[in-house]
Amino acid sequence: MTSAVKAIDTTRQAVPFDTGNIPGPKMAKAVMPSVAGKMLAKAKRPLLIVGSEVHDRDVLERAVAIGQTGVQIAAVGNAYTSLGDKGLDVHYENMHALASYLCDPGWPGFDGKGGYDLVAFFGITYYYASQAISAIKNFSGIKVISMDRYYHPNADMSFGNLKNDVFIAALDEIIAELRKDKQ
Amino acid sequence: MIIKKGSFVIEGLENVQINIGRIVEHGHEAGSEVEGPTPRPEIISLRDWDYRLLDRYNPVYTPTSDMCDYCTYGKCDLTGNKEGACGIDLEGQSARQALITSIMGAACHTAHGRHLLNYLIKKYGEDHPIDVGPSNLKAPLTETIMGIQPVTIGDFLPVLDYVEEQLTQLTAAANTGQEGAARDFESKALHAGMLDLLGMEVADIIQISCMGLPKSDEKTPMAEIGMGILDTQKPVVICVGHNIAAPAYILDYMDREGLFDKIEIAGLCCTAHDMTRYNKTAKVIGTMSKELKYIRSGIPDVLVTDEQCVRADILKEAKRLHIPVIATNEKITYGLPDRSNDSVDAIIDDLVSGKHAGALILDLEKVGDLVPKLAMKMGPIRKAKGLTALPDEDEFKRLVAKCTKCLQCTRDCPQGLPIADAMVAAVSGDLAPFEILHDKCVGCGRCDYSCPVDIPVLNVIEKASQRVIREERGKVRIGRGQIGDPEIREEGRNLVLGTTPGVLAFVGCGNYPDGTRDVYDVVEEMLQRSYIIVSSGCAAMDIGMYKDKEGKTLYERYPGRFIKGNLLNTGSCVSNAHIAATTIKVASIFAGRKTKGNWEEIADYVLNRIGAVGVAWGAYSQKAFAIATGCNRLGIPVVAGPHGTKYRRAFIGKPYRKENWNILDARDGSVVNVEPAPEHLLITAGTKEELMPLLAKLCFRPSDNSLGRAIKLTHYIELSEKYLKKMPDDWHTYVRSEADLPVAKREQLIKLLEGKGWKIDWDKKKITEGPLRKVDVSFQPTNVPRLCKGGK
Repeated sequence: MTSAVKAIDTTRQAVPFDTGNIPGPKMAKAVMPSVAGKMLAKAKRPLLIVGSEVHDRDVLERAVAIGQTGVQIAAVGNAYTSLGDKGLDVHYENMHALASYLCDPGWPGFDGKGGYDLVAFFGITYYYASQAISAIKNFSGIKVISMDRYYHPNADMSFGNLKNDVFIAALDEIIAELRKDKQ
Repeated sequence: MIIKKGSFVIEGLENVQINIGRIVEHGHEAGSEVEGPTPRPEIISLRDWDYRLLDRYNPVYTPTSDMCDYCTYGKCDLTGNKEGACGIDLEGQSARQALITSIMGAACHTAHGRHLLNYLIKKYGEDHPIDVGPSNLKAPLTETIMGIQPVTIGDFLPVLDYVEEQLTQLTAAANTGQEGAARDFESKALHAGMLDLLGMEVADIIQISCMGLPKSDEKTPMAEIGMGILDTQKPVVICVGHNIAAPAYILDYMDREGLFDKIEIAGLCCTAHDMTRYNKTAKVIGTMSKELKYIRSGIPDVLVTDEQCVRADILKEAKRLHIPVIATNEKITYGLPDRSNDSVDAIIDDLVSGKHAGALILDLEKVGDLVPKLAMKMGPIRKAKGLTALPDEDEFKRLVAKCTKCLQCTRDCPQGLPIADAMVAAVSGDLAPFEILHDKCVGCGRCDYSCPVDIPVLNVIEKASQRVIREERGKVRIGRGQIGDPEIREEGRNLVLGTTPGVLAFVGCGNYPDGTRDVYDVVEEMLQRSYIIVSSGCAAMDIGMYKDKEGKTLYERYPGRFIKGNLLNTGSCVSNAHIAATTIKVASIFAGRKTKGNWEEIADYVLNRIGAVGVAWGAYSQKAFAIATGCNRLGIPVVAGPHGTKYRRAFIGKPYRKENWNILDARDGSVVNVEPAPEHLLITAGTKEELMPLLAKLCFRPSDNSLGRAIKLTHYIELSEKYLKKMPDDWHTYVRSEADLPVAKREQLIKLLEGKGWKIDWDKKKITEGPLRKVDVSFQPTNVPRLCKGGK
């Protein structure tokens, strides 16, 4: 992982990655990684939801780096196989069930401390994540940031559709923001 | 005196005509043997049961659209669960869509059953007896829902009348200005799902009874399956859809005329299953995912369509390659001319000359006569021309070189496949990425429309994959029909006590998240763990598509009896009814529960005692949703693949809400807080690694005895450790005493429990404090108060 952060623009190509995935008039605002990073850093109870596309080395390293800043991680799908042994605050959960729990104000969370005020998604099969985000968007008050390489219209904020190198650089910038906040 | 149906004139009273319609025999009709409170349930008769399910398994909505555009008030923006102009909110609208989806599925299967019933009554008469094999409980769903025990196929007439009437009522409820509460939309959706099971049961029982399909036969022969099985030098007839009526005539004609060595005949989708059930000489190409691919290959010389899972563009695609389409069902007619009353020769002349691209022929005998003759004429003509949509070698190289890597095809692909990467590899002569895509591709053809430089992407994938297509040759055990009563007697106890870890039903379509191989892998793992695997439809086909090192498919390695570690194929889509009905049989035969008109009690028994789970890993259709919803009302959990979230509604339990897991002990009506078993009623999994431990978990039931619980817990823990690399977080929730722990790991697990704060008597190696409840072998779990002693 590089420590230098490239100047990138993650707001381009902010159209649903799956061409037909147009939910309605409210679609995600395209954001720069610094904004996503600050939101994640400032959230009182953030949760990072990471899925089965996390196993690629470059992506995994960044997921671990975010987790090491203290953000709790929900490993959905088979993501736990790559994240479980990294000493992180990581919990396996089925994503469909997790979406349901997040919409329930009575859910105690993974640690018994209550629900979350912001969830961030990345590394999840596009259409699967989109459906889970749709539930959170419409039936909860939780803010959703998509930090994936695809534009997710159901999120409150999302990157546009990114090339892999830009996506990795964006994650690096988020990590830098989180580390800055820790200092 | 024997009274028969018909019209009579009494001598001396010539002006009086007596019409005798349906004859009701004692002990034969609805009402005479009803054992439960809800024969022929109306749309709210089972609402209390539905509410019990919905209170525990809360509907979870994942809308694909935040809009409603059903009426002229709209479009209405319902984002954030706002109300639209009519007052419906997004939750209600999502639930309404669940209802409409269930209705569509139920109507599809029921209309299939109606078509068959009318046809078979005309051919065999209403008094043709039902014969499904060695069973007294011949129509479990009909008995449980209708309260009657049908004896002849004519007895199903009032059954379909009932289903059709109920579906009309339910459809009316979906109109703007009708039902508005999400909860009641869901109750109605569950009702539609139940009706779907009934419609399917009628369809399959009558075809088994009249058409000589296997009757609970555990040793049916194997049929060939795959895109590479046909001798393409012969004329090829491909039947597409679900309804055996027309293909049966073609098979009969070919049999009569000795044409099986001259013409290749095979099916696509569930028609294929039923063709092999009708005549074991028929072959199976595969699922709907193979439909466009196979047509584009140019191999078929005649396409015969009936109903369901037929591509809307089949005529357009076939016409390009001069493949005549014979439509045989009034529900799918494609604007084709009705040639039902024309001569076979005249129709053939028009099709061979290309004057017409196809014909609608509703006279099925004529279809049987025409299709083989047409194939014999079309075959040589088409083969001489080498008609195919696939590019030749030079064209293939030119096309892959055109790719600009814009990724538009990936964005339009339901699976998001990396097509551009495969194009790049193919430029340098590496076809392996395309061969992988061939299996993962669901054959929808959306990529063709998306390509800005007009590459026919699907054709390119298929051209590049010719090597693997030629090798695509598997075996599927021909659909057996019902599970017979003797098998239930043998296995029912193991299922209820949990010593057989569970029944897993792999059903539904081929819209898999990562190719067909996943289904094979999961089924193999669970068979090795002694689960009973029951299958039907496209899933049953794909299970047979792969071979082990010895060249054997799973069907060749595992027998087909309803006992642990066996692999059964019940048959086509409508054979799904038998899978659901098996749980009714267990409740009736093993536990002596009354069935007739007794849905709630039976479903309550199934939910609390029978570790059966449905898996619809590639479900795409409204039919699959209806089947799942019907199973849910019967107390059977279902897991779908990730595409299942696009059905927009699931039923997910919340294990942290302890109050949701209170059930009653029927012995005295006392409330018992139990472990979340089964935890969910309808949920998706993201990957096969996530699917397997989830299946094991969903097989837990409150009634498990300690041996059964230990077996189920063993598989849950092992599968989680093997595929998710972790002990399940909630494994201890399912431990009621040390006897529930797997013997091989008992001491290690007790230490882990101690670490969780449980009290252990190490001298006796006993748990003294910690479990939610104790094991009670006499526990009679129920969710229905009236079933408790003294209950009303």
